[in-house]
Formats: sequence, C-alpha cells, structure tokens
Amino acid sequence: MKLALREMRRRPSRFVTATVILSLIAALLMLLGGLLDGLIRSSTGALRAQQAQAIVYSSTSQASLVRSRVDPDVRQAIEQIDGVTAVGGLGSAQLGARVPGNGPRDLADVALFGYELAPDGVPDPPADGQAYADEILKADGVTEGMTIQLGPARTPVEIVGFVKDTAYNGQGSLWASAATWRSVLLANRPDAQLADGVFQALIVQGDADIAGRIDEATGGATESLTVTEAVNAIPGVKEQQSTFNQIIGVTIVIALVVIALFFALLTVERSGMYGVLKALGARSGTLFGGVVVQAVVVTAIASVLAAALMVLLDALIPPGSIPLQITPVRIVLSAVLLLVAAIAGCLFSLRRVLRVDPASAIGTTV
Amino acid sequence: MNALELTDVRKVYTMGDDSEVVALDRASLTIGSDEIVALVGPSGSGKTTLCSIAGGILRATEGRVVVADEDISAYSEKELTRFRQRMVGFVFQSVNLVPFLTARENLLVVDELGQRRGKAAQQRADELLEELGLADRAKNLPSQLSGGQRQRVAIGRALMNDPKLVLFDEPTSALDTKLGEQVMDLIRTEMKRRGTAAIVVTHDERILHYCDRSVHITDGVLAA
Amino acid sequence: MYLALKEMARSKVRFGLLVAAIALLVFLILFQQSLQNGLITGFIGAIRNQNSPVLVYSVDGQRVIQGSVLTPDLEAAARGVDGVGEVGRIGQGTFTALPTAERLGGASETFDTSVIGYDLGEDGRGLGSPTSLSAGRYPAADNEAVASSSDQASGFDLGDTIRILPGDEVITIVGLADDAQLNVTPTLFASYTTYEAAVASANPDARGLLPNVLAMAPAEGTTPEQLVANVNAASPDLDALTRADAEANTPGVSQVRQSFQLIFLLYGLVVPCVTGLFFLIVTFQKANTLTLLRAVGAPSSRLVGSLLAQVALILGSGIALGALLYYPISQQRLGGIQLRFETSAAIFWAVLLLVLGVGSALLAARRVLAIDPIEATTGAGVGR
Repeated sequence: MKLALREMRRRPSRFVTATVILSLIAALLMLLGGLLDGLIRSSTGALRAQQAQAIVYSSTSQASLVRSRVDPDVRQAIEQIDGVTAVGGLGSAQLGARVPGNGPRDLADVALFGYELAPDGVPDPPADGQAYADEILKADGVTEGMTIQLGPARTPVEIVGFVKDTAYNGQGSLWASAATWRSVLLANRPDAQLADGVFQALIVQGDADIAGRIDEATGGATESLTVTEAVNAIPGVKEQQSTFNQIIGVTIVIALVVIALFFALLTVERSGMYGVLKALGARSGTLFGGVVVQAVVVTAIASVLAAALMVLLDALIPPGSIPLQITPVRIVLSAVLLLVAAIAGCLFSLRRVLRVDPASAIGTTV
Repeated sequence: MNALELTDVRKVYTMGDDSEVVALDRASLTIGSDEIVALVGPSGSGKTTLCSIAGGILRATEGRVVVADEDISAYSEKELTRFRQRMVGFVFQSVNLVPFLTARENLLVVDELGQRRGKAAQQRADELLEELGLADRAKNLPSQLSGGQRQRVAIGRALMNDPKLVLFDEPTSALDTKLGEQVMDLIRTEMKRRGTAAIVVTHDERILHYCDRSVHITDGVLAA
Repeated sequence: MYLALKEMARSKVRFGLLVAAIALLVFLILFQQSLQNGLITGFIGAIRNQNSPVLVYSVDGQRVIQGSVLTPDLEAAARGVDGVGEVGRIGQGTFTALPTAERLGGASETFDTSVIGYDLGEDGRGLGSPTSLSAGRYPAADNEAVASSSDQASGFDLGDTIRILPGDEVITIVGLADDAQLNVTPTLFASYTTYEAAVASANPDARGLLPNVLAMAPAEGTTPEQLVANVNAASPDLDALTRADAEANTPGVSQVRQSFQLIFLLYGLVVPCVTGLFFLIVTFQKANTLTLLRAVGAPSSRLVGSLLAQVALILGSGIALGALLYYPISQQRLGGIQLRFETSAAIFWAVLLLVLGVGSALLAARRVLAIDPIEATTGAGVGR
C-alpha cells in the first residue's frame, strides 16, 4: 500500500496518461448522466411537483395531457370514492409567449397550467389573469410583476411570482387558475378548448392505493397513474432513459477495459520486481492490493478532475441552450461506478500477480 | 544450533510432457551458525534450486529442510512466506532494488512487507546504512548509486530482518574484479561480525577464499 | 511480419484486450452516429420528405407544426404576397390510434399517431404530401392515408385500417413512405378534411379549427428563399421557412445535434488518448526486444515495419470487430427510432483511428530506435 502510493508519487509520469484518459471517460460519464438528468428534469417537472396519489387521464389518452379529457360526471364519481380526500382539475396549453422587451419574433416557449390543487412549491391558484412562472423563464427575460402575452391572441397574463423545477416538455411552466387556462385556450386554441368543468386530467389525493379503485369506479373511462408512472408515461422519457443508460453502461465497460489493459501492462512490466518482493516475504495479496490502490487513486483523481470540468462546463454553458444538469448525486454515482469498474479491471491482473514465482528472483539476470 | 541442515533433499520437476527432471538429488548439507559456504557449479547444475529450497522459496519434493532449528519441510506457501520474512536474507544477482525507492526505503521495504516494527525498523535501517558506509546516500534512488553501492544496499536489505541465513546469488557477477573483491570483503566482515551464516552461489573461483569452505554441485549432486 | 504474428500469438490476452477496447470504441461511436441520425430523421422525417418547398408557420408556433395556428387574417396575408405559386393548408395533430388489422389478432395496443392533413389536389400529391412512396398509392379520397413505412409491423401496413380514439373516425392506409415520421411516432398523411374529422372525433368541444401551417410553392421565377423573405415581410406574426430550415429549426433537433456533438467531441479526445496510450505502452514493452534486435543487426526499417504491421492488424481487427458488432444493432429499431448502417461514418472513424493508432505507435517507435544498441548489452533499456 505504502509502496504503491510511493511509486505514484515518485513516478507520476507513468500514471498521467491513464489518469487523463480516465478523466475524459469520467467526464463523458458525468456529461451523459447530466444530459439525461437535465432532459428528464426539464420535461417532467410539472408532473413531478404534483402532490397526488393518482393522476387521472381519460382511458384513450395514452396518458398525454393534450389528448386527455375528463368530464364532470367522472369527477363526481371519483369524489365519492372512499379514501379520496381531494380532487383537483389540471389542464395544460403549450404556447408562445411575447415577453416585453424581446423582439417581435423572439417568443418564449411556455406551458400554461390551469390547476386547482397546488403542486409542491407552488402557492394556491392566483387570481384570474395572473400566473406563477417557472424560474427557467427568467432566461427569457421574464420578471415578477411583468405582463406577458400568450399565443396569437396575445392574451395578457401577469407574472406574480416564481416557482422552481416545474418545467414541462422542456418548456417553462406558467401556473394559473383553471378559468385563466380555459380563457387562454378559447382565445388561442379553439381546436383544443374544453367545455366548462371538463379538465385534461385530475389530481387525486387520498389513500396510497387509490389509483386502481378509481379506474374501477369510473368503469374504465379513466386511466389512473401514480406520479412516478405519469412521469414515465411522458413520451420520450423512458426511451431517453434506456438509451442513455445503455451508452453509460458501454462507457463504463470501456473504462474497465482501459484500467484492465493499463494495469495488466504495468504488472507484466513489474513481474521481475514482484518476484524479488515475494522472495523477500511479500504476500500476493499485498502486491495485488497495491495494484488496486493505484487503480483507485487514479480513478479518484480522474473523477475529481472530471467533476471540476463538469462544474466549469455547467458554469460556461448559457442557461437554456443544452439541458445539462450537474448534480452531486450524478457525480458521485459516476465516480462510484468508475471505481467499481476500476477494481473489476484490476482483477485481470490478479492471476498474473499470483503467478509470479518468488523463485524467479534467483538465478535470473532480469 | 546449525544455520541449515539439509537431509536427503530431492527436487524433481515435472515437465510438460510428463517426463521428470531431477534438479537436486539426495542432497545433504549442514552449515554452522556463522559459517560462510560457497556453492560452486556450472549453470544448470542445481545450485539455484538448492539455494531456493534453503531460503524457503521452493519446497523440496522429498527430504528434510531445517533452518536454525525450524523444520520447514512441510510448510505451506503462507508459512514459507512468513518464514522468509523472519529468518532469511537474500541478495540477488542483478541487485533488484525497487527503482523508485531511495536506499533507505529499499531497506524498509522488508519491514513494511513483513513485521512492521516501524520506529525500530527505521533505526535499524539507519544503523545498517551507517555500517555499510551509505549514510550519506540514504536518500538517493538506485539510479543515482554506483554498482558497488547498489550491491551494498542489497546487502543491507538482506540484513534488515536479522536473518539466521543469508543467500547470495552471484553477488559479484555484475561487478569488475576490484569491486567484486571489495563486496566479498564486506560480505565476509558483516557476516562474521553478526555471526550469521551465508551461502554464496558463484562460479567465480577467485572469490572462494572469502568463504570458510566451498561445496561443489554437478547435475544436482553435491560434493564437498 | 513473422515476428509480429508470433508475438501476438504468444500474448493473446494483451492483444485481445487491445482489440476488444478498440472494437468497443468503434461500436459505441458508430452506434451513437446511427442513434443521432435515426433520432433526427424520426423527429422531422415528415418535414424533410414532403414536397412543399416553403412552410409558413405563425410566430407563436415556435416552429412546431402543432403549436402553430394561422388565423384567417394571417392566412390571407400569407396568400397575398408576391411570388406565391401554389398554397395548401396543413393541419397536424397527435392522436391515440388503434390499428384494427385482423392479422394483429384483435389489436389491443394503441399508438400515439401523428395525422398530417393536407389539400389532396387532383392526384393526391398536393403540397405537403410525401415526396415519394415506397409502396401503394397516394390518397384519392377522405379517410385514406399514406403511412410512415417504419411502422408497418405495428399495424400500419398497406390495407390496414386505423381508428382514432375516442370516436369512430377510421382511416385506411393506401400507401407507404420511407422516413416519414414526425416526433418519432407513426405518421399518417391524409386529406385536410380527414384531419378535421379526427380532431372533432377526439375532442367534441373543439370549435373553429384553423390550419397549423401553410404549404407553399413559389411561382415561376421566384426562389423559395425569395418567397420566404416576402412572406416574412408581410407580417411580423408569420414565420416562413424553407423546407431545410423548417427541418433544422424544429425544437429539439438542434438540441439533439448539440448534445451529440458534445459527446462526439469527448470521444474525439478519448479515442486518440486510448489508442495512443495503448500503442505507446506496447511499443515500450517491446523496447528491450527492439534494442536487442537492433544490436544483433536488424535494420531499423524492418523493426518499424513489423511494429506497424502489428498496429495495423490490431486496429484493423478492432475496427472490423466493432463494425461487426454494430451491423446487427444498426438494423434494429430502438423505441420507434429506425437505425441505419452509417457507412460514411464508419469509414471516417476507421480512417481516423488507423491514423491515430499508427501515428502514436510511430512516435513511440522513434523514441525506441533512438536508443543506442549498446544498451542492450548493459541491460539499461527503456523498459526499465
């Protein structure tokens, strides 16, 4: 252990290349993870924020808000189920918003939500004509107290505050009363308007297992999902996750191969020295431990470098351009995965270390 | 107490095609507690095998191996490793110092791999370096030392664990005549001063007079 | 050459690992190339492979067809500009669709499906229709459609019928077009009235349906670019784009491109480092042998030649293996994305890897050959 660390201190140049490569791989891992987190975060915030035991869609909507319509009689049926404590309507509209001070063609993408039950971090619905804005809209120049215009009809909405992490489909959310949402739809998207009392989805609070009972009570007219299920049902979320995770997996395998190769070659090079040390009484375990220590140190340094690079990148990327989200969790997770890969990679050298014969130290000139 | 007692030791290697090669045939050898014995023979004669068995690196196929009253004939790999840490010192043919460690650290490696006595070991390393005339070289890397100095560091390393038996594998082969004689002189002085037994493997007849006696080996058979 | 092969046969694990690492890298890069192209084609194939050279959105739509709505005023303003040849309406919506082909055994699975409505024209090839068909014919009447061919197996094959849910609107598929998806969902090209009926069927509350975009062809003597400029000058609320611009500016497309570019940039850094390191180490490992061979009188050109033969062989096998791994994957569909074997990308990366690998090995060999052969006798070679 001491020997292994001392070698790294005395001969850092041997480990520089491997550290650089691993740093790049670590950066790649963290970047991929950060992109995935950012993409998912910016497309799912509005649903993740819901405080609900069930989100209820109409059965043929494929859990898509714009295609779903839940009628008032269905809502009544749900309100009468035992274990339901509160039911609120939810509606959405994705529109362009004109922000004062921006050019005539420079619109902000917004997702306007009409809501009755407040999501996590969002106050109760504001007065008609007002809305809380997601803070990512600040990048588009939206400020508190400002009135922005929604859609081709230029429906005015006053921003009365900001909320966090409620983006939807990569768009900044606006949170308004159901009446405001309905009037915006009527003015701008008559094709998508819904009659009074009809919502796109219902937010249901109550018993933890309420989702199944709702669909029974409505006779199959609804599809009720937990928040997690609803988030995963957002088009593209699962596909993005599985694709990114596959790429991350293969990248880890590459890291493993790099480590395996690097230390296998070092071990070949050191077999003479290992022979001598074994003759002097070193156990194979101690020597292999040294290899693992070196791999762990190289990986740890690479992870720190990569993390620093990511923090720098995060600071340099203008907000809103690439949906990159750098979190400590992702960085630590990537580092841990790399460490596991590093240790697994070392195992390729184990056999060689075990096979070194102390007798080779005697009678040879190497 | 004798430093080494080999009784009817045989070493047989099984080759790839199942044929057997006898490397050491019924060798018996006793070395007194402070005796320096030269082991002389042509290459392939079995002297390396004998040396390895005496030092606990190889296990004999048959026969009894006793080092300083400790019977190691039936020791497992693990027991042999621990035995080497405690009882034997090695000086290998081409020095074989760890290239990225200083002279002093090369001595301390023995302690780190084995008994871990810490402070006591450091003190001993400093004493040994002093005795070997390397005090001012303690912080030098092997690459900054001359051939003779490196050999002295190797001798120091062999003495770190206060061994009962030190094995020298062709200690002078990489050195010129003058340096070789200096090193042998040093070996003799150090061994005699400590009362430690040694086997010096060599094919160099000129250094025999530094040893108390010489044993010849040919085709695995010992002859006094 | 003989020496090079002998050595590789002796240390199979080492060279095997090398080949495996290179193969993995090649595989990963090519896979992601396919993924990027497949993803983008899935997103905007329906825009790329439709026949209208200019598309007019409302500024509010933010270049999303479904988000764009053209009010009668805007439509009139656009139709009135100079240089307009032909104009057609396009309506697009995403619906829950139920394929009802009997061979699917009742077809219980529903799909998110894009319906693109356009003015059919006399032969069904009005503006907004697919540029070419891979099978069947263009729609000749309402409730007929051309479907994206990548969804054939899901119940969108010739002759299949699709029901739009909720409601009774049924569309029959009469033609197929390649690379014609929108938003990575099955896509149907039908008459504008069919689209209107689908909207009404899914949402009975819908009133006053407006076209999402206008498909335009310039009059003779006017280029698409000029027409775009004319339309945009007519109203600040109109957003005209050429077909290529509409494709590139669809939200998500540039983000996908940027994200992948960042990933490729990192690969561009990792790949040379990995290959460089490997061959540097391999060459240095052989330093002793090389020095020794030099000492016994082998000409340096022979040694370098043998080294390069090895490097080329390793790289070649790695690349071939990587491409071999990639081939079956590239024929797959991945969650609605049609992957393809990207030949040009494969060649590009193969050449790049070969150059980088050979270059790094040459660099290492130069250092080795600079060693004095005399050192072979003292044993103080590079490898120590």
